[in-house]
Amino acid sequence: MHALFVPLWLTLKVALFATLIAAAIGIALGWWLARRPFPGRSVVDSLLMLPMVLPPTVIGYYLIVLIGRNGILGQYLDRWFGINLIFTWQGAVIAASVVSLPLVYKGARAAFEEVDGRFANAARTLGAGELEVFLRVSLPLAIRGIAAGVMLAFARAMGEFGATLMIAGNLPGKTQTLSIAVYEAVQAGNDRQALWLTLVISLVCIGVLVASGRLLQARH
Amino acid sequence: MAALEVQLQLTLHSPDRSFELNVDFTAASQRTALIGPSGSGKSTVLQAIAGLLPQARGRVRVGGQALLDTPRGIDLPARERRVGVVFQDYALFPHMTVEQNLQFGLRRLGQRVDAGHARRVDALIRQFDLASLRGALPRNLSGGQRQRVALARALAIEPRLLLLDEPLSALDSPLRKRLRHELAEMLERVQVPTLLVTHDPQDVEALAQDMICIDNGRIVDCDPLPGAV
Amino acid sequence: MTIFPRLRSAALVATLLLGSAACSAQELIVSAAASLTNAFQAAGKAFEQARPGAKVAFNFAASGPLLAQIQQGAPVDVFASADQETMNRAASANLIAPATRVDFAANTLVLIVPAASTQAPKQLGDLTNPSFQRISTGTPATVPVGRYTMEAIDKAGLTAPLQSRWIYGESVRQVLNYVARGEVDAGFVYRTDALIEPEKTRIVLTIPTITSVTYPIAQIASSKNAALAGEFIAFVRSAPGQEILQRYGFSKP
Repeated sequence: MHALFVPLWLTLKVALFATLIAAAIGIALGWWLARRPFPGRSVVDSLLMLPMVLPPTVIGYYLIVLIGRNGILGQYLDRWFGINLIFTWQGAVIAASVVSLPLVYKGARAAFEEVDGRFANAARTLGAGELEVFLRVSLPLAIRGIAAGVMLAFARAMGEFGATLMIAGNLPGKTQTLSIAVYEAVQAGNDRQALWLTLVISLVCIGVLVASGRLLQARH
Repeated sequence: MAALEVQLQLTLHSPDRSFELNVDFTAASQRTALIGPSGSGKSTVLQAIAGLLPQARGRVRVGGQALLDTPRGIDLPARERRVGVVFQDYALFPHMTVEQNLQFGLRRLGQRVDAGHARRVDALIRQFDLASLRGALPRNLSGGQRQRVALARALAIEPRLLLLDEPLSALDSPLRKRLRHELAEMLERVQVPTLLVTHDPQDVEALAQDMICIDNGRIVDCDPLPGAV
Repeated sequence: MTIFPRLRSAALVATLLLGSAACSAQELIVSAAASLTNAFQAAGKAFEQARPGAKVAFNFAASGPLLAQIQQGAPVDVFASADQETMNRAASANLIAPATRVDFAANTLVLIVPAASTQAPKQLGDLTNPSFQRISTGTPATVPVGRYTMEAIDKAGLTAPLQSRWIYGESVRQVLNYVARGEVDAGFVYRTDALIEPEKTRIVLTIPTITSVTYPIAQIASSKNAALAGEFIAFVRSAPGQEILQRYGFSKP
């Protein structure tokens, strides 16, 4: 039981933080790109969707290049702050955020685009500044679609494997998330363990899919 | 009498065409109609006056006060112009009750509704006969009720100018007649100078004291009426 | 009456074609421990040259996962593991043809550090020094190098002090990679692996192991290429095969 609980707890922790980060960035970017077109908008859009298309190992590699101990950013993190993200659950959070960001961004942008621009304009004529328009009008009206995107992001963060393995390694208790635990159990020939772990992940993911489907449906 | 002076130049680009607006007019009456066929640019003028089109250039003055004065570098953002707008389809916030819609312009983010705001909202509710609808959501209101709420909401901020964007065009004919009548009555009691945008000469007759005609982005003679509907 | 000769020669041609297809499509699948990657790739090429018509396909990973694949029915012909224990597990699961099992190479366990490191530990106990925050080896459950390492660590009484510092790699090559990239402060690999990355890593200690590091090889019982499998195993043990292995730093079994 303990062997099930530890990776589950770790997975939930990593997925939660990753979803929060992805949500904050994804909603903001979805809002920004849903407004009027600007030169280069489609380029930014493609970049944001890239992690959804790239193989996880490629993402893992890019992240290593970026935040590895000798990486572009990582070397400064190490030298100035003594921070090394490789083999840490925080590194796992970063890997999971990157792969789930596109899901939030896509859902948020679509949701904002569906909100009639006239509501924002009405709010402006009534004295609201841009932040207020966002918080009092656009966000509440887009919240269902955003929530659905966030839930999908959570499910994705929970299941992230390739990039996570490369960045955070497979350290039981520290970075061994559920999907990595399944991988290890299979490798060790521990089929019963693998089965239990798989069931747990499947149940949680099904639950998330059903909930997010309901959210999207209820809008229409 | 506070006059509305408008001189606007702007170009709108869309994938298939670009639209040039170049208008110059003064509305001296209390209630003026800007009439033109669809595509003439009348809604664009209204949006520009309200400050919703950042690319507009020229001058917009209400009662001598400049809202937009490009040569002098004045371009107030919409939220500072105190121009009340009644949108086509009314644009009532669907996630807020009638009361919350009315309060929206009175309080800013993080502020609470104080006694003064509450009094103002109550007065509007009385004036527009919305007492029984305070807690209702817009989707449960009839067309006429929505019209009253939209007008009340625009007036809540004590605007210096009231703009109405084709207020009746979304309605079908029998309803339109009745609501035109109601709207005429309400507008008569409104003290704020009003500009009403429409393509329907019957609106002009019932609701306005004066009219200005627009076609193809330019002010034109009203005889003959442009794009006779 | 003329049909039969025609049919006969058609049948003969068909048989020849099928037969030669079977012969020349002789492909051997060899699952070998990660530490054998470079040496076996070279050996495979040499074997194909010495034995025209044969092709060898390699599958390199840690010995544990390789065994798991075979257990799940992977169509492997030959298995070479980095320790006796994994091969013993294969034997008790009746996965290998016992008569074909034989040792073919030996290796040494070494401690390496990133090239940029200034550490110069003189003995295993020096690892308790705070400058060794992250020490890497293979996952003991599935990777032989991890087991060899833990044996030595246990013997030196260092299990408790170093407990929280381990970074486990999926294979000995991943451990090597972690050290080469500087992500860990030290790592346990085989001498043959350290020789692959001479610029990025430095050997600082040679570790005598309790269990000697010997590599067994065997034919998988369910192999459809028993004859060719036997030939490959023989090649690996022959003088040319051993010469290749020693070139990469392996020693005689």
